[in-house]
Amino acid sequence: MAGTQDDAYERSVTQQQEQPQAGVPGSASDPSSGQLQFSRYQPRTALRHGEYTKRSRPLVDQVNNSWQEIEKGYYAVETDDRELRFCDLEDENSCPNTTKGLVRSKRFRKMILIAVTVALALYYAWISYVRPRVEQEWDVKQGFLPARLNGTYGIARSGHFDGTLIQWLDPKLVPGGEADPEGKRRLVFVGDIHGCKKELLHLLDKVGFNVDTDHLVATGDVVSKGPDNIGVLDELIRLKADSVRGNHEDRLLEMSKTVLGSDLDSPDEAATSHGSVKDAKLLKHFKHRHLKYLKDMPLMLRVPALPHASSSWRKDPHHIAEDIIVVHAGIVPDVPLEKQNPYFVMNMRSIDRRTHVPSALHETKKGKSSPWMMIWNWYNDRLVHGRSMKGFHSYTADEYRRQQVVTNEGWLSRGWQAISGNKHATLKPQVVVYGHDSKSGLQLHRWSKGLDSSCVGGGKLTAMVLDAKGETHVVQVGCKNYKA
Amino acid sequence: MHLPLGLLACFPVVVHSIIGIPTHPPLEPLPRRDAPVLGVGSRSHRRHQNAYPDEPDKYFHEADFDRHYDGRFANKRLSYDERRKHLTALMQTYLSTMNDIGAETWIMHGSLLGWWWNRKILPWDSDIDAMVSEKSIHHLADYYNMTVHHYQLPGLDEGRDYMLEVNPHYINDSMESANKIDARWIDTDTGLYIDITTLRRNRTAEARGVEGAMMVKDNHHYMYDDIFPLRESKFEGCPVNVPFAYSEVLIEEYREGALSQTVFAGHRFEPETQEWIPLRHAVQQNKLLPPGP
Repeated sequence: MAGTQDDAYERSVTQQQEQPQAGVPGSASDPSSGQLQFSRYQPRTALRHGEYTKRSRPLVDQVNNSWQEIEKGYYAVETDDRELRFCDLEDENSCPNTTKGLVRSKRFRKMILIAVTVALALYYAWISYVRPRVEQEWDVKQGFLPARLNGTYGIARSGHFDGTLIQWLDPKLVPGGEADPEGKRRLVFVGDIHGCKKELLHLLDKVGFNVDTDHLVATGDVVSKGPDNIGVLDELIRLKADSVRGNHEDRLLEMSKTVLGSDLDSPDEAATSHGSVKDAKLLKHFKHRHLKYLKDMPLMLRVPALPHASSSWRKDPHHIAEDIIVVHAGIVPDVPLEKQNPYFVMNMRSIDRRTHVPSALHETKKGKSSPWMMIWNWYNDRLVHGRSMKGFHSYTADEYRRQQVVTNEGWLSRGWQAISGNKHATLKPQVVVYGHDSKSGLQLHRWSKGLDSSCVGGGKLTAMVLDAKGETHVVQVGCKNYKA
Repeated sequence: MHLPLGLLACFPVVVHSIIGIPTHPPLEPLPRRDAPVLGVGSRSHRRHQNAYPDEPDKYFHEADFDRHYDGRFANKRLSYDERRKHLTALMQTYLSTMNDIGAETWIMHGSLLGWWWNRKILPWDSDIDAMVSEKSIHHLADYYNMTVHHYQLPGLDEGRDYMLEVNPHYINDSMESANKIDARWIDTDTGLYIDITTLRRNRTAEARGVEGAMMVKDNHHYMYDDIFPLRESKFEGCPVNVPFAYSEVLIEEYREGALSQTVFAGHRFEPETQEWIPLRHAVQQNKLLPPGP
């Protein structure tokens, strides 16, 4: 303790004080000054903290027993008091008393106020912005996970298709492809024409259609409802245009199997229906080449990714650098193309969020449907960002086994996934070009392009022109209303 | 089960023996009677027909031990495997006969759902549903009522007799709770049958301005454009017709789950083989969950 050192120091100081007292002026022997007077004989150290100031009296006199009056603190407890240690209301340092003191303090109150405000703001942000998004994201994701309760669409044999299911675009027609090294070719996609020949010619003129370098691709429903169906077909045959089969072509083809073969007169409306009578009349005017053209239409047309188009990470709906699939109405995401139900590919407008069963209606009666292109865009966004597809349904035993091996190993295998390639690692995002949905009109998103702008109902006829670099632009012409 | 010679089963050697009873347009209320069955059916046994005393107008009667059997020809309920085998034969002979006659018919309801899943009858289905057009039912009623058709099917035992019986109430267009079925194709050996209903024009809806409305006496409603033009496809190895908008018709009747649920009625759909496999415990107890469709 400091006491011993002080004693030694004091002893030496007092000795020195006694000695020079005789002949040194301004000596240290001034008890009333209260300060330690330094003389040349004294040590150089300054006053130390807690040092006794009075040097004349013995140290012992300055000792008091005030330590005995110190209140019993944490070290003076006995076993009985231990429970009340923090909560003893009489104790100044106990919990309730400290809290009371804290609460009363202004600074603490200010801190509490700030904390509460921040918490409220965060909660509000959670409720109104973050949680709905998270819920929606989860809701959409649910549809992709196989669940015994919801089932999975795409497993059953489902409908059949009379004709080519999937066809690739002729490689010679691909812009920037092997037959077009300079990249001069273009592809012109057109929405539902429905027999509006005048508008089609006007549109091709406006686009600057050149038969040598441009190729026309229609999204189906080129006939029915409009004024000049035969004319449109002849024009398409002349231009050697491609088209996918739409629901009206489907209907005409099925009807042709019975109506054309029979010698009976066309059935009247009382026995059939208004639409059926019109279709039968149209069929009677068809020549062999028209019927062949309809039969040759595939369900889906695929265009490979353009060689000269650079893939862009930008969210630009006007740039296409990926594979394109052309269908009439839509496709279900995450289901292989061969397993898509042909009827729905030609008719769907929405899909059920849980089961992914499509519907021709915009919204099903149960109310759990979403427009199919929303789910499609969500799925392809996920693909392009390389996000996890863990748990998504797989359609063959091979895929399932590969997925099992991968998911069992966890995060370390993610790197391996990229090298070995499971189903989803090798999947690339694709752009869908479609028509059929005239009520929604022109719908351009990153991964889906809806081109039906209701020409036959007095809207517009839309064309999307794709050049070799992957850039697109939209051209439209106005249409007369033929539905009346 | 599958018959070994597949498509050939649809065009077997046939010996028609026709017992025709002419039908007259009813001038007075129809007397209640059972169709005469002497000479029909390969065994004589106690009749198990349910009498339905509170529905005196009901023409078709079912067995008292199971409503999916005709009591005049059945005396016991068949096991799971036997029933599947006989239902398949029933379907094939029906389609073959209709094709021969030239009557327009297509599959609906539970059979259409089976067609969707794997082009076969759903294993837990106890009957088959088919529909005919109005012209067809008139033709069948005029010339083929109470006819018996003999089929020699490969893979099954001796030849079997199938009877086509038309309900005289088919003429009545309005809804009738007792006579919803317009005709039956009955296996006289086992008592299994196909319910045949007629798709009629919905004259009341058309009077109100709804164009193309169709109805069936068992209270189903359709639009003409959803059914016609019919599509040709295969079912149990035989050519069939299915409605044009088959997916919509199925979803309308059975909701979306029917097209995507792979576990149903004690069975599980195996994607690799495209078959409905019965869950073991259900078969062991010889008791499957109540038929869905």
